[in-house]
Amino acid sequence: MNAKIMIVDDEQAIREALGRKLTRDGYEVYLCENGREALLTFHEKRPDLMVLDIVMPDGIDGLTVCRRIREVADTPVMMLSAQAISEEDVIEGLSAGADEYLIKPIRLNEFVARVQALLRRAQFAQNDQPQQYDDGYLSVDLHRRHVYVEGRKVHLTPTEFKLLAVLMEHAGRVVQQTDLLEQVWGREYLDDIYYPRVYVSQLRRKIERDAANPQYILTEHRIGYRFESQA
Amino acid sequence: MIDTLAILINGITLSLACGLLLIVLWHDMRKEQHQYFAVFLIMVMLWNGGALMSQAFALLNADLWARQLAALMMELGFSGASVAVFALTAALARAQTRSFRLLAFVSLVVVLIYRAAISLGAGLPDSGSSPSPFNFQEQPLLLAFYLIFDGATLYLIWRHRRKIRAQEIVTGVGLFVVGQSVSFLNPDLRPYALSIVISSIAALVTSFAILKLEILNPLAERMSQVETIHRVSLAMTSQISLATVLEQIATQAAEWLRAEAVGIWLYDKGQLELTTVHNLPEEYLHRQLALGQGVIGTVTQARQSMHLEDYGRDWGGAPDLPVARETFGSVIAAPLTYGQAAIGALMVIAARDGRLFDKDDVHLLELLGAQAAVAIANSHLFEEQRELAEALEFSRSQLETVLKSTQNPVIAVNRKLDVIFANPAAHALMARELEADNRQPKLVYRLFLGQPQPPAEGNTQSILDTLHRRKDFKFELDVEDTVYLCYVTALRHEDTDGWVAILNDITQLKELDRLKNEMVRMTSHDLKNPLQAAMVNLDLLRDDLQASADEEMTHTLDVIERQLLRMNRIIRGILDLERARTGQLKIESIEPSRLVEETVDELRHFVDEGKVRFEVDVAPDLPPTACDADQIKRALVNLVENAFKFTPAGGCVRFTASAGKHGGVCFAVEDSGVGIPAEAQPRVFDRFFRVNQAGTEHVSGSGLGLSLVKTIVDNHKGAIWLESTPGEGTTFYVELPAGEAAES
Repeated sequence: MNAKIMIVDDEQAIREALGRKLTRDGYEVYLCENGREALLTFHEKRPDLMVLDIVMPDGIDGLTVCRRIREVADTPVMMLSAQAISEEDVIEGLSAGADEYLIKPIRLNEFVARVQALLRRAQFAQNDQPQQYDDGYLSVDLHRRHVYVEGRKVHLTPTEFKLLAVLMEHAGRVVQQTDLLEQVWGREYLDDIYYPRVYVSQLRRKIERDAANPQYILTEHRIGYRFESQA
Repeated sequence: MIDTLAILINGITLSLACGLLLIVLWHDMRKEQHQYFAVFLIMVMLWNGGALMSQAFALLNADLWARQLAALMMELGFSGASVAVFALTAALARAQTRSFRLLAFVSLVVVLIYRAAISLGAGLPDSGSSPSPFNFQEQPLLLAFYLIFDGATLYLIWRHRRKIRAQEIVTGVGLFVVGQSVSFLNPDLRPYALSIVISSIAALVTSFAILKLEILNPLAERMSQVETIHRVSLAMTSQISLATVLEQIATQAAEWLRAEAVGIWLYDKGQLELTTVHNLPEEYLHRQLALGQGVIGTVTQARQSMHLEDYGRDWGGAPDLPVARETFGSVIAAPLTYGQAAIGALMVIAARDGRLFDKDDVHLLELLGAQAAVAIANSHLFEEQRELAEALEFSRSQLETVLKSTQNPVIAVNRKLDVIFANPAAHALMARELEADNRQPKLVYRLFLGQPQPPAEGNTQSILDTLHRRKDFKFELDVEDTVYLCYVTALRHEDTDGWVAILNDITQLKELDRLKNEMVRMTSHDLKNPLQAAMVNLDLLRDDLQASADEEMTHTLDVIERQLLRMNRIIRGILDLERARTGQLKIESIEPSRLVEETVDELRHFVDEGKVRFEVDVAPDLPPTACDADQIKRALVNLVENAFKFTPAGGCVRFTASAGKHGGVCFAVEDSGVGIPAEAQPRVFDRFFRVNQAGTEHVSGSGLGLSLVKTIVDNHKGAIWLESTPGEGTTFYVELPAGEAAES
């Protein structure tokens, strides 16, 4: 079955061009032009991936759409923004739950490559080694993609989950930034060095007792990150 | 008859002389005139006593020896008086030479001994006849002696008649000489009694004149001096103008010294100007003399008084005033000095036939001059003080007007934070705040303490200390919907008296800044969306055409693509620049070698192309530098990328890091490219500036790269400069300050 991809952008020329390309490449594509329509379509069609423009005119912007979706689903979200002028903007987008934050303009080929990578990331769990972790406070079932903190289920986005999985796989050892980018996001992402930083801090907020003084995911300054088992 | 008169006169003279002698002895014996006068009086007493005694002895038919003794006393006294009157005249005329006193004394002694010897040697006359003391017919030597002394006395009197200040003395001495001369007459006429009478009267006249001149007049003068000084002092202390004070001084000087005219010159800027005249023509006023010119110029320069008996005769230099030489007689000029400085000179002038000034007059004038100098100096000081006060008042009111009229609130407080000054704008602001929030005025605390309440009890000192340490600072403050940029400065630097705050309403600027940011965001969005649409559609078109596109179509598509990419670069350049200008630096400590390494990593694709030789050299032991690593890397990447772009294949790019001159680190990027013409070098950091020269047509760019680099370096308080030789290459230098400097 072909993957279902939703494209939300108020700019018709962009929306349609991206849609045509993805359709041509064999995906099932749904186009929406504002946030309200996007939320309706999402609930109706349950797409496998969502491409989301941030600035939209009717009051519900991309960030809001993303947050609403995150409340109910782990669907990968790729954000497109024409507006980002600072890293803080990017981090805000990723914090809202996006798996990917692309700054316009983006070339068609790159866009397609990133879509493919994101879909790949979301499907990885099935191919991975089954692995369990439980120390009483944090409990992770990599196979079933379940994460519990003190018995309560925690929702992780596909990217967050993949990041945790890669770090746990190398527990006790430092994973270099570039390796992390390659393994979690894909080869195309080697230049996006702030991705790991943002995602690690997101992940810490979800699983650590105190995100400011992490115990599980430790930073090796300017080198990379390390998962420290507490069991 | 004449004998009775003689006895009477002799008696009166004797008693008066005795009294006068006592007065002179009591008054002052140190003056030479007084000493001669005393000797003269003793001689007068001697001869009068002798005359009286001889008369008495004649009546009593006393012994011969007693009569002879009386006659001897009379003769000795008479001769001695002759010498004494000469000495006294000389002293009064100030014609005596240095050893005059000794000479006079010796002559007196010689004369007395000689006279005594003659008298004793003559033996005793007949008992019946009266002694005839002045028998010059028998004593030609004695006659000569009298002639010499009396002649000399007369000559002195005549010669120095102007110097002897009392006419009575001249008369008295003249009469005395006449009296003595009478005795030269034929002895048969019994001239000696007449001679003694005349001489006695003359002696009395002379004595009283001398008493008046030497004792009474000085006393009276001292009174008038005190009076004059008093008047001058009064004039000085009452705040009348300098001109009036000087006029009074001139008038006093003229009265005091009995001078015909007085002039006062004041010294200013190398010139002496006649500012006050007394009895001199008005048109002489404001005449000028150079320092050293004329008597006045000389006196001022030397700061020493000058006394001339006759201006026309004694002064060889330039005349002080046009007809000075012809009209001035005796003059005294005294400098007016205050401290070490000469401020002018004062001159009293006697007419050619007027009196002659003497040493006492010089002293008097100097005294008056000192007073005048003080008056002038006082007046100058007063004038200066007044001008200073006026200037101060003027600038104070000017400053106040400026402060009052400015729209910026200005508030000054003392050390206790009490408001000591607030301009109308500040008052309005405080009133507005009070109205909005009906509590204690808190603006002052917010301004100077950064909190809305007064310092807590006991905490005051520490807060003030903090404030004191900061001295000058600025911050933004919101007051009732208005944003102020406040500058706070200590009122004095060494020992703070208080603080002053100047508030600038920057609400509009803030709004503008917000609008600008908004616009940048909007622009980027509104430009990027169409660009994105064009790009994806272009890519789609290429996709569609794939195999069917001919060469011309592909070329056209390439052109479209290049232009779109260029547009994208420009937009990105603007946004990057904006970010660098407004963004906060994330300062961290980093090894320069690491910055170089990471920069090179980002440029891997250029390096790997291998068209250009690339050399990297990092000096060992460079200290870590404090900077925003990402930003600095961005700047370095830009520079190295430019170097690659502008260096033709086969060239060389060198990227080095070494110790900076000021303790920091200096990066250099050197290429062997086309170089930058000298006239373009100052402009390369300008936005959108691109050098148009052969060999660079193929290089694409936004024209914003170097501008961004400079902004980043400036944000780090670093320096950037370049050296370039067209055709040989260019070197860009970036120097970052040492760690602490960058952090501050």
